[in-house]
Amino acid sequence: MTAGNIVFLFILIVAVGFFSLNVQRLVSYLQIGHPDARTGHPFTRLRNVFEIGIAQKKIFRDPVAGPMHALIFWGFMVLTAGTLEILIAGVYPAFSFEALLPKTIYTVYSASQDMFAVVVLAAVSFALYRRMVLHPRRLDGDDLEHTDALIILSMIAGLMITLLLSNAFMLAAFPQAMGPEKVVSHQLGSAFAHMMDPRTALARYHIFWWAHALLILAFLNYLPYSKHLHVITSLINVYFSNTSGPGVKGAMRSMDLEADVESFGASDVEQLSWKNLLDGYSCTECGRCTAACPANITGKLLSPRKIVINTRQRLMEKAPVMTGDRMDFMRPALSHGVESYEAATSDEVLGHRLLDSYITEEELWACTSCRACVVECPVSIDQLDIINEMRRNLVLTESRFPAELQPVFESLERNGSPWAFSAADRAGWTEGLDIPTMAQMRERGEKPDILFWVGCMGSFDDRAKKITVAFAHILRACGINFAILGQEEACHGDPARRMGNEYLYQILAKNTIETLDRYEVTTIVTHCPHCFHQMGNELPQFGGNYEVIHHSTYIERLLQDARVPLRSAEGQKLTVAYHDSCYLGRYNDVYDAPRQAMKRALPVIELIEAPRTKDRGLCCGAGGGRMFMEENTGKRINAERTEELLATGAAALAVACPFCMTMLTDGVKANGSEVPVYDISEIVAGQLQA
Amino acid sequence: MKIAVCMKRTPDSESRFKIAASSTAIDETGLKFDMDDFAGYAVEAALQLNEKAGGGETVVYAVGPDNVQETLRKAMSMGVDRAVHLKADAVPVDGIAVAKALAAELKTGGYDLILFGKHAFDSSAGVVGTATAELLGLPCITAASQLSVDGGTGSARRELEGAAEILSFPLPAVVTIDEGVARPRYPSLKGIMAAKKKPMETKPAQLGSARVTIQKMELPPERPAGRIIGEGSAAVPELVKLLQNEAKVL
Repeated sequence: MTAGNIVFLFILIVAVGFFSLNVQRLVSYLQIGHPDARTGHPFTRLRNVFEIGIAQKKIFRDPVAGPMHALIFWGFMVLTAGTLEILIAGVYPAFSFEALLPKTIYTVYSASQDMFAVVVLAAVSFALYRRMVLHPRRLDGDDLEHTDALIILSMIAGLMITLLLSNAFMLAAFPQAMGPEKVVSHQLGSAFAHMMDPRTALARYHIFWWAHALLILAFLNYLPYSKHLHVITSLINVYFSNTSGPGVKGAMRSMDLEADVESFGASDVEQLSWKNLLDGYSCTECGRCTAACPANITGKLLSPRKIVINTRQRLMEKAPVMTGDRMDFMRPALSHGVESYEAATSDEVLGHRLLDSYITEEELWACTSCRACVVECPVSIDQLDIINEMRRNLVLTESRFPAELQPVFESLERNGSPWAFSAADRAGWTEGLDIPTMAQMRERGEKPDILFWVGCMGSFDDRAKKITVAFAHILRACGINFAILGQEEACHGDPARRMGNEYLYQILAKNTIETLDRYEVTTIVTHCPHCFHQMGNELPQFGGNYEVIHHSTYIERLLQDARVPLRSAEGQKLTVAYHDSCYLGRYNDVYDAPRQAMKRALPVIELIEAPRTKDRGLCCGAGGGRMFMEENTGKRINAERTEELLATGAAALAVACPFCMTMLTDGVKANGSEVPVYDISEIVAGQLQA
Repeated sequence: MKIAVCMKRTPDSESRFKIAASSTAIDETGLKFDMDDFAGYAVEAALQLNEKAGGGETVVYAVGPDNVQETLRKAMSMGVDRAVHLKADAVPVDGIAVAKALAAELKTGGYDLILFGKHAFDSSAGVVGTATAELLGLPCITAASQLSVDGGTGSARRELEGAAEILSFPLPAVVTIDEGVARPRYPSLKGIMAAKKKPMETKPAQLGSARVTIQKMELPPERPAGRIIGEGSAAVPELVKLLQNEAKVL
């Protein structure tokens, strides 16, 4: 051991010690959040880590940044092994993996270090070019600064350059020091050998070795102060995330409403779960969520990225006060953008909160709960969960919500429908159709095979009633033994839940379960994706377990089994652009059934896809209770979506959701277009034999 | 300020009403009952007055069977401090009988203001508020669309046909509230939980003798379906003729 080794050992201990101190600090900040059990289903979680983390599945959704990031990431994975070797050898020079590994494996390892150093350098150079010259739009906005990213990228480039140069100078001095597999280093080394004597080369080697080793430790210690903390937290975040399972995707968490608490939902960081807070650590501000957000795209205040950044900023502001952490030197970097930071005393810090001080009511109510942000996030952050918890706080604790929502809540409570229609009119659409109710069938001592859950839109909205009738015709034509609940059907409360009114939701959900269980319902078919999601995925939280099938899937199955009496498929070719409903698609992965159903019923149909389609489909603007709220800021979301669909040149638009139907029908009208909008059941019903 | 609000529990106005077999009452099966709309405005007015004053007590009163407690509880979830349930098997149609029960109770309450809805949705009589004021010997303002208090003097606005009048009156007083004061607030879950712990006093209603009874109820005659006379200008003469002779509106 030389003096140099001892000095390095000392530096290593200080650097690692300081890093672990910061890790402990970050972990203690997470602990101010609510508990949230996230350890079940380890295999699903590991699969997510492999697919989303290691294989970079979601990163690749961006065709440019995707490969760039994946190369840097994989390069880092590979080079970390080499880094370990370098750090150990810095203290104990005789150490090398060569002595531990079989020759072939060591050769591959050794070659990979050389090759990936070049690959990462190239990818990082492109990243710098992209950020500084190409300026992708999504990297701006939300008061972001580029300094942090530039520092990180430069550090990575520096790491690669010093690694290659230290190897090259070593080889310039001793060409036999490394095997021929280090092609690049050998090339550089022999070039240097011509320029200088071995002694100078060795001296340069030492300079670059130290530069590389010190840069590694500097990088490690810079991470906790940077948004690039994601290097450490993102795989952990993917493991604990539920956004790609385990469990039901997009299901809102249930609340204990009997809990003796002062406040419901979240108005500040300690009312969020530790997982919401970990999301904050994992966000690298890439902006993919915000770029996909229908509210943001159309000029509303909401930016899902800002929600996550604000959560982190507020955590960095408040957690030190709550945990009594007086050495708050971590805050400035991760809480950049907090205006009050400089002057903040404990009292001031406790005097404001995440809600209002950082995130405004207007942002929260702009959300359509379409899940586009969640699907885009490469590190499985759940932006929507934070928004939902904060909406709950607004409604349940503070009774603050857009004025338009009060009649909706009151009507849900009194009439069992978000609109002030009498339950007595619920089955008005059946007039002349002779559709049996569950009660009538029970009286006759019969039991239907399926319950057709009509939903409030399907029962009361004039346009949606036509969908209801079309679907009933299909069921009839196929000889399905079905019934409806008629006047006994009432909203399951999903709109209330999405609008933050969990109290009203739970009352309605429990009533629904009681009604369904009274008739021993087992299978439910519905043409509303919101009912479909709610009843199939969220009622189980309260003991309501049913097989719930969306009509698109049900019709597709009937067609597949050749049970639908269809006319021969003549007629002109019809080009149709299908619009994906969020609650069918991103919430439940139903993309193919509606398309297939149309194709089977009408083989001459030609389906054309809008640029944003399937899991990238743009919301119609009605979700998350937006159906019931005014839309006064920016462009109307339904206009944005309708224009995109009409631009495909399709002769007709197709939907599989009564809410999408309303939004697109209005959009087409506002556009002055005469393109018809059909529900998929109407296209199929149109092909029924007379 | 000490404010009392007297309220009635009425069926939801969106309901489809049927007359019961007795033909002297409506069939209550399937109807949703809630705080009467105008009573809701009165509660909101009371809460806002006390919020503005920075303190005081708001108390709600209702006459009726045990189910009115649910409505009283709702008022408390909005922020009312306590409730008094004056128990009776049914609410008499004779508003003066109800007023007697309320007056007997309110007499010793020491209230600065006693608020009512301008009338209840179901009976639309508007008797109870005014009769209570008379029984208590207090000034009475009906159908106030705005209400404020300054010291011992109240001020109210009443909407008239094409005009409005501003009234001033000494406290204590009885005021019946019209819509326009402020939309009744939506109770938060926090309020609902707090209401469960607020005091509710139950005592028998000292109803006056009911001198008015319902003999018979009937639904308005069904409107005949519309008629299409024709299309375009050709149909105008016939339309004018029918409007003159049949509808007699021209």
